[in-house]
Amino acid sequence: MPDVAPLLEVRDVVAGYGRGPAILNGAEMTVEEGRTHCIIGPNGAGKSTLLKVVAGLLPARAGRVTFDGSAITGLRPDEVLRRGICLVPQERALFPEMSVRENLRMGGYILADRTELDSRIDEVLEAFPILRERSGQRAKSLSGGEQQMLTMGRTLVLRPRIVMLDEPSLGLAPRIVRQVFDIIRLLKDKGITVIIVEQNAVVGLSNADLGCVLDLGKTLFEGPADGILQDPRIRELYLGKRAGAA
Amino acid sequence: MTDILQILLIGAALGGVYALMASGLTLIFGVMRIINLAHPIFIIIGAYVSYWLFQLVGLDPILSMPIAAIVLFCLGIVVYKLIFEREASSAKYSEMTVLLTFAVALSFDGLLGVAFGNIHRITSPSYAVEAILIGDLFLPKGQFYAGVISIALIGALVAFLKYTRFGYAIRATTQNRDAAQLLGVNVGLVSTITFGIGIGLAGASGALISFIFSFFPARHWEWIALLMSLIVLGGMGRLMGAVVGAFLLAIVSAFVGSYFGSTWSMMTFFLALFLILLVRPQGLFGAKME
Repeated sequence: MPDVAPLLEVRDVVAGYGRGPAILNGAEMTVEEGRTHCIIGPNGAGKSTLLKVVAGLLPARAGRVTFDGSAITGLRPDEVLRRGICLVPQERALFPEMSVRENLRMGGYILADRTELDSRIDEVLEAFPILRERSGQRAKSLSGGEQQMLTMGRTLVLRPRIVMLDEPSLGLAPRIVRQVFDIIRLLKDKGITVIIVEQNAVVGLSNADLGCVLDLGKTLFEGPADGILQDPRIRELYLGKRAGAA
Repeated sequence: MTDILQILLIGAALGGVYALMASGLTLIFGVMRIINLAHPIFIIIGAYVSYWLFQLVGLDPILSMPIAAIVLFCLGIVVYKLIFEREASSAKYSEMTVLLTFAVALSFDGLLGVAFGNIHRITSPSYAVEAILIGDLFLPKGQFYAGVISIALIGALVAFLKYTRFGYAIRATTQNRDAAQLLGVNVGLVSTITFGIGIGLAGASGALISFIFSFFPARHWEWIALLMSLIVLGGMGRLMGAVVGAFLLAIVSAFVGSYFGSTWSMMTFFLALFLILLVRPQGLFGAKME
């Protein structure tokens, strides 16, 4: 367990969509500041749902989410965002008809100071030179990898404390996936806490400090990512590898 | 050659007014996926606001246009809050709104019929019967003023969407509602205000058409087909598409009306609607449909 208070805590959260059955049935998660966390689990385990609850997109039916010592359960998405928690959803959440620069501007929509916003956009463009080259192009004209880069770069405009990435490598070629994880390392280097939900559990855990195994809406295990990668039972059940296999 | 230029001139002036009539409809569809069959009845209400202000206090319809726009903006907000907001999260929202807006159109049609009767009315400022002469060409002043003001209003709308923070929020919500919400846009508020703006634009266009066309409550049924053809041609939800569609069809219908008679002029819009849906259902500027 961490020596310092966790940045984000999810405790005994129950949640579901509409009047449907609960997808999360007492989920737990402890997130440490400045570390990269990877949530793994089979399809339907509630991984994306957990991120939506934290982001305020889905209300928790029970349980508690605290961020930096304060409860954020029940806050609206924009209120969660103002506290510095950004969610990058599974499908690329771009505005296809807007230019790269306009998309970045939307990343700082909640910032009132336009000059400050412009300077932050320039910072992001400096970190991603390819986006600077394409800053006048419409987002829909970018390649898949560039679009993912723009989606992730856009979160930096807000200088968030936590970035939650839902399946960031989904549908991307292996070369682009490596670029995506390079960006995730860049986020970590900037001191941002990262939470990744990754279907490719081995890739996700290999790039994370800590891991969380979710199944049927419950947290089965939390701990160091390399420990999860080495655990024979977890390897067999969730990583698709037989115990003892390389 | 003079004939062709003359038809082009009249078609272009009408195109500006049609573009303003359609702009609110396409804006509302773009942001909320509401197919607003009641849009033309709001145009008629705007026309009545200007008509009665002219009749009762002698206020010029161009000057009463902002009043009509504000009245209709407020009416739009009330209608949205009472009827459309509660169903906004429904998966079948778009389909439901066809029936809901049909019911709204019927209700206002009935109310206007009771209040004012189905009598043809037209606002008659002096310029409505005057013309501008350019060599051998002439242009009715009313159509010219209405066309120019419509284009100016659309220009203001485009600038608002392009350069203001709220305009960014509207465009973002149009293109990706979920992503906009994730970035802190209050999509509920954006939807409400956009519906108000769309209906406000209907009010403004109503004030302008009040001195170009005669109107009566049931005339909105004729206009919905016309407006749908414009926005389907341009691509549903595309503002610039609606503007291009309006100019194209207004000019083509002016030619058809001139060479085959005015009865066939209106057919241009119906035929265009059929052809677009058959050949290119996404319209000129819309993304290809799956």
